[in-house]
Amino acid sequence: MLEAISFGDAGWGDEMLMGAFWTVAVSISSILLGLVIGIIFAGFKLSSIRVLNLIAEFYTTVIRGVPELLVIYLLFFGGGSAVMYVAKIFGYFGYIELQPFVIGTLAVGAISGAYSTEVIRGAVNAIPRSQFETGSALGLKGFRLYQKIIFPQVARLALPGIGNVWQITLKDTALISVTGLVEIMRQSRIASGSTHEPFIFYTIAIILYLIITRVSNVAFDKAEIRYSRGFVKRKIS
Amino acid sequence: MKKINLIFISLILAISSTIAIAGDWSKIRIGTEGAYEPWNFTDSAGNIVGAEIDLANNLCERMNAECTFVQQDWDGIIPALTQGKYDVIMAGMSVTDERKKTISFSKAYMTEPARFFTLNSSPLSTFSSAKNLNLDDDGSATAGTISSLNNALKGAKLGVTVATIHEDFANSYLDTDLKIYPTQDEMNLDLAAGRIDAMLCDVGTAEAFMGTAGGANVVTFGPNVFGGPLGEGVGAGIRQSDTDLKAMFDKAIADAAADGTITKISMQWFGKDLAP
Repeated sequence: MLEAISFGDAGWGDEMLMGAFWTVAVSISSILLGLVIGIIFAGFKLSSIRVLNLIAEFYTTVIRGVPELLVIYLLFFGGGSAVMYVAKIFGYFGYIELQPFVIGTLAVGAISGAYSTEVIRGAVNAIPRSQFETGSALGLKGFRLYQKIIFPQVARLALPGIGNVWQITLKDTALISVTGLVEIMRQSRIASGSTHEPFIFYTIAIILYLIITRVSNVAFDKAEIRYSRGFVKRKIS
Repeated sequence: MKKINLIFISLILAISSTIAIAGDWSKIRIGTEGAYEPWNFTDSAGNIVGAEIDLANNLCERMNAECTFVQQDWDGIIPALTQGKYDVIMAGMSVTDERKKTISFSKAYMTEPARFFTLNSSPLSTFSSAKNLNLDDDGSATAGTISSLNNALKGAKLGVTVATIHEDFANSYLDTDLKIYPTQDEMNLDLAAGRIDAMLCDVGTAEAFMGTAGGANVVTFGPNVFGGPLGEGVGAGIRQSDTDLKAMFDKAIADAAADGTITKISMQWFGKDLAP
């Protein structure tokens, strides 16, 4: 048992930790990509331009409405074929390998982006109109208005929801093992299939996921406190 | 236009890690799962090892090709082949008609035959027959073995698992009374408890049960059954368009089977001969 999880060539400890590294790396890049997508598409949804509303509505409906695994399959296998098809037009007939990390980040980022869109849209909607009016009255316009007045308040309201999206994103990374990226799930499958000790390795996977979620919970709690300065913690009495 | 073309191609070259030119098989990429001990698996140092890895290296030597292994999750193993991530699948994959709709296969390099199992107290345990029953062979020996099997099994209850090649075989060749189980485990328990007289399944799965306390009284009888509805065994998956590569593998596998290489590798990893 101890030998199985030891480090170095005799054990799987180093491989499992490497898997955890890739899980965290993909999760962080995906949530960041998702936040960028979320901010843009929340803007689309709140826009007064009808076409932008429709585009954003289409995106969130499709991505949230189909299984995550399907999105990943589509991007990994479909994306590769699409790139190669374009390359053929330009006279290149070889095989083009899309990096599993890049595809994984794009796929999981697209998924988390759809959820983030709704979280951010909800948070912006929760800001009273008077805040926008006050900002204008102070002479702030466009980007400056959002930067100085709206964003700090949106951040406070959106953080709990984003924390939720983060946890979903983290677990979605387990699905990208089909692309060949050796993250925690794929590594556990390799190790258990090679040693016939599934119990040990899937238990290690559980522990690794719990450590990552626990640490990130602490970070989100800290961020929530920071963005809630000046607000009294409300409790139901 | 020329310029854009150049920029684009160099961009593609920059992001692509491998270049395969059709028809040139001096380099072959072999896709495998790396999690199916002892066929192909990963050791704790992270190296891919196993019976199929040894065999692939041997075959590549015969084909004067330089082989690299690509690990791929089982779930995406066929789409990744058709898309060109690698050229060949060697991952303990049985040749089936269903898979043949998408990819083609080399001839089988290993076969795990089906066998009959019973309790050592059963009269069936002393049944003797030819060593092999190849259903693709239409000769009189095949018919003779099948009829002696049917005689021995007369009045006996035979277990098979549902929707398997074994059920297909029993339905089309045997006239004994069948009991069909959802899983191997339930069938194992019923055989040990005497609710069925015999079961028909893969050698490997039955041997795993025989190694446990509950299966200590289980013995095998009758021939190794293969061919026909039982399929051809485990082969190398190859894109349907790569007929030249398939011919190379067929020849290399035939040579490796003929000079005993497959038997040697099989004995080393499985402790028994799975050569076709």
